[in-house]
Amino acid sequence: MFLIVVLWGVLSALTVFPSSLFPSPLDVVRGFLEEIQSGRLLDDIIASLFRVCTGFAIAAGAGVPLGLVLGHRARFRQALLPLVNFFRSLSPLAWIPFAILWFGIGDLPAIFLIFMASFFPIVLATTAAVASIPTIYFRVAEDYGLGGSQLLREVTLPAILPQVITALRVTAGLAWVVVVAAEMIAGRDGLGFAIWDARNGLRMDLLVVGMIVIGAIGVVVDRLLVRLMLLPSVRWGYER
Amino acid sequence: MNVSREDLTEPLRLASVSRSFDSLEVLRDMSLEVRRGEFVAIVGPSGCGKTTLLNLLSGFDRPTSGTVTRTGSTRMVYQQDGLFPWLTVRENIEMGLRHVQDNAERMRQLAEMFDLINLHGFAEHYPHQLSGGMRQRVELARALAGETDIMLLDEPFSALDYLTRLRMREELARLLETRPRTVVLVTHDIEEAAQLADRIIVLTERPACIRMELRLTVPRPRSPVQAEVVDAVQRILAELGLENETDDRLVRANIN
Amino acid sequence: MFRSSTARFVLMALAFISVLTVLRFKPWQRFATGNTAVTNSTKSREQLGVGFLPVTCHLTCPVTDYATRTSTATRFESQRFTDFPTVVESIKSGRLQATFLLAPLAMKLREQGVPVKIVYLGHRDGSTVMVRQDLAAESLRDLRGKVFAIPSRASNQNLVIHKLMEDQGIREDEIRFVELPPPDMPGALAAKAIDAYFVGEPHAAKAELDGTGRVLHHAKDIWPGFISCVLVVHEDLIRDRPEVVRDLVRGIAESGEWAEQHRLDAAKLSAPYFRQNERVVRHVLTQPPDRVSYRMLTPTDEDLQQIHDMALKIGILERPVPIAEVVDRQFIPQEIKPANIDMQAAKDANN
Repeated sequence: MFLIVVLWGVLSALTVFPSSLFPSPLDVVRGFLEEIQSGRLLDDIIASLFRVCTGFAIAAGAGVPLGLVLGHRARFRQALLPLVNFFRSLSPLAWIPFAILWFGIGDLPAIFLIFMASFFPIVLATTAAVASIPTIYFRVAEDYGLGGSQLLREVTLPAILPQVITALRVTAGLAWVVVVAAEMIAGRDGLGFAIWDARNGLRMDLLVVGMIVIGAIGVVVDRLLVRLMLLPSVRWGYER
Repeated sequence: MNVSREDLTEPLRLASVSRSFDSLEVLRDMSLEVRRGEFVAIVGPSGCGKTTLLNLLSGFDRPTSGTVTRTGSTRMVYQQDGLFPWLTVRENIEMGLRHVQDNAERMRQLAEMFDLINLHGFAEHYPHQLSGGMRQRVELARALAGETDIMLLDEPFSALDYLTRLRMREELARLLETRPRTVVLVTHDIEEAAQLADRIIVLTERPACIRMELRLTVPRPRSPVQAEVVDAVQRILAELGLENETDDRLVRANIN
Repeated sequence: MFRSSTARFVLMALAFISVLTVLRFKPWQRFATGNTAVTNSTKSREQLGVGFLPVTCHLTCPVTDYATRTSTATRFESQRFTDFPTVVESIKSGRLQATFLLAPLAMKLREQGVPVKIVYLGHRDGSTVMVRQDLAAESLRDLRGKVFAIPSRASNQNLVIHKLMEDQGIREDEIRFVELPPPDMPGALAAKAIDAYFVGEPHAAKAELDGTGRVLHHAKDIWPGFISCVLVVHEDLIRDRPEVVRDLVRGIAESGEWAEQHRLDAAKLSAPYFRQNERVVRHVLTQPPDRVSYRMLTPTDEDLQQIHDMALKIGILERPVPIAEVVDRQFIPQEIKPANIDMQAAKDANN
């Protein structure tokens, strides 16, 4: 990390690239202060976090149940899995025109794009996790009289939880990557918007500020999700 | 058919059962009755259909022809890990006590199970933190806890090393002493069968049918070098054609 | 065990999102300002969002936004976009009813059946042909075999360059054209990935100030009265709120007149709207002062017909679109006086 900053400083000091296109670390620090003082940075962070968390939560809230159904019912799986794979292959960027058409400009289209980016991978991972539960668990559950909703709560869900957490971790990263593109149509705030705006405004220093903040939040979010993997009831899934 | 009243209460009963998978015939016309409290071991060459037999007994699988009757509740102990990895040792054993309504009574029985398997201090551990032998003990405790009638054991000790296996046999014998159950043990370990069972059933190659039945009356626990155990092992090996030192005719005479 | 920990996690996630929602929408601010006179007066006033991109061709839009903050007429809120496709999609979906737009693109929309009208211009000139500093090019002819960037095939810059090439006898395939987003052009020029570009300001001035590019032609010199972008409104708006359109056109006209008379102030005022460096904007507005013009903003039939014919020739338009259908000049004021702008208040607002 330190080395990168040093290399960056040296490169900009030597003016290998024009300074207005390749800002120095000092420019970026100044940009940082400017953005913090104006309060824009905090607003942008909140706006982006709000969109990513909402889109991601909806994706997880809908994706895990759908994955459970697909995992359990082979017929649904055969019918819907190609569809899920189809949509998963599409870049969320391709949805931008429709996002504008259906949701206009602002929070909703960005949330929609983030949802589109994270929903399908979550469905897929959950489906795979359910399908790979060893049948022995279900036989044991039957021996001990677990059925219906108890079976779901006490066997299926805990059995897939480690894989689902891993999937959420990966997808959260994906959602966060999409935020820059999604906020191209965000209207007036958000870290992704700040990056587009800095680019349009020929302010490379602010662009780098946006990059740094997005990267840093990505690290923090992952750290938080890693904590989930430390729950005692899922540790088994990661120690084989 | 002439069936006496006592026969009806036999917990497990196979009547002319056959089972085929597509064109593959696995069991052919097998009849078997297990009495209440009896420990039956089923041995045979690998791939002969022992597990299929167990699946039929547990109700997990249905016969192609013939009938399976089961009276009472059944629990199975598996050769691979059948413990729920997301539950602690205590929670796993509590699975076996789910039907005990009274809280205090459940706690008492739980404590008793821990006494039996001697795993105090591991109650809050997760299965993946235990050794293979410890896991098998927990699994036995889970199956034995509460009021099950029938226990089906599918090569429960096959994953363990020899010394641990010896210890586990002793353990199982001791546990059954305090909590008698009707047991069917499927194993490829003839010594294990001879040490534990009241009756040993030797199966033929596929399609499997009963090749030989052997009764042992000496009380458990039995040592692997005890004369009766050694004798039983030799007779089974001879029947399977694996014991060369013994005179064939002599062994036949012994069986008959 | 499982139930409690998962439930706790779900609850925590929901709580986190709720906190974010509250922080995002700041209901206390809405509540606090709900009682002030400002909101009351805005409520009773007509309001309209007007789309623009942070380019000096659209400078009159933020100026109008600023001018109508306090006036009693319609409140125009400038809505910044980052690219034209998004602007077009917003108009098509009906969520944006007035915007600045590339002139050929406006005709293209009309051709596609989107009922928009060009009601005014936002500027004249204000585009620049830049070449690499180290390239000894004196005219378009010297750019044969070079890589030339344009913002979009549907931009008037593209049309004008093609017209010039035709006039100078340069064949279509002698210059290699690439489409680039305007913000990327200065960087591409500095990296020598392209040799020249023609774009709306301030994306040309940027390279000039960096010392990586040199002005080959100002638009005013090769195509006097050059139009890049026009003010477009949806017919629904004309039908439902003609007074608002009249206010808007007058606002743009007066803002333009004010900007002509106060170029330094205009740079200072618009830089925060563009989120651009004031120095760059000031350079565009003053070096030379007629680099971009905000007068004579009435679109003539001749102006539009020329653009239309070139667009048709190059294939941007597939069939002729009658100019009378595209343009609507009924809202243009007879007399234009400079907008009344209090720079002291602008300074206060920015600090």
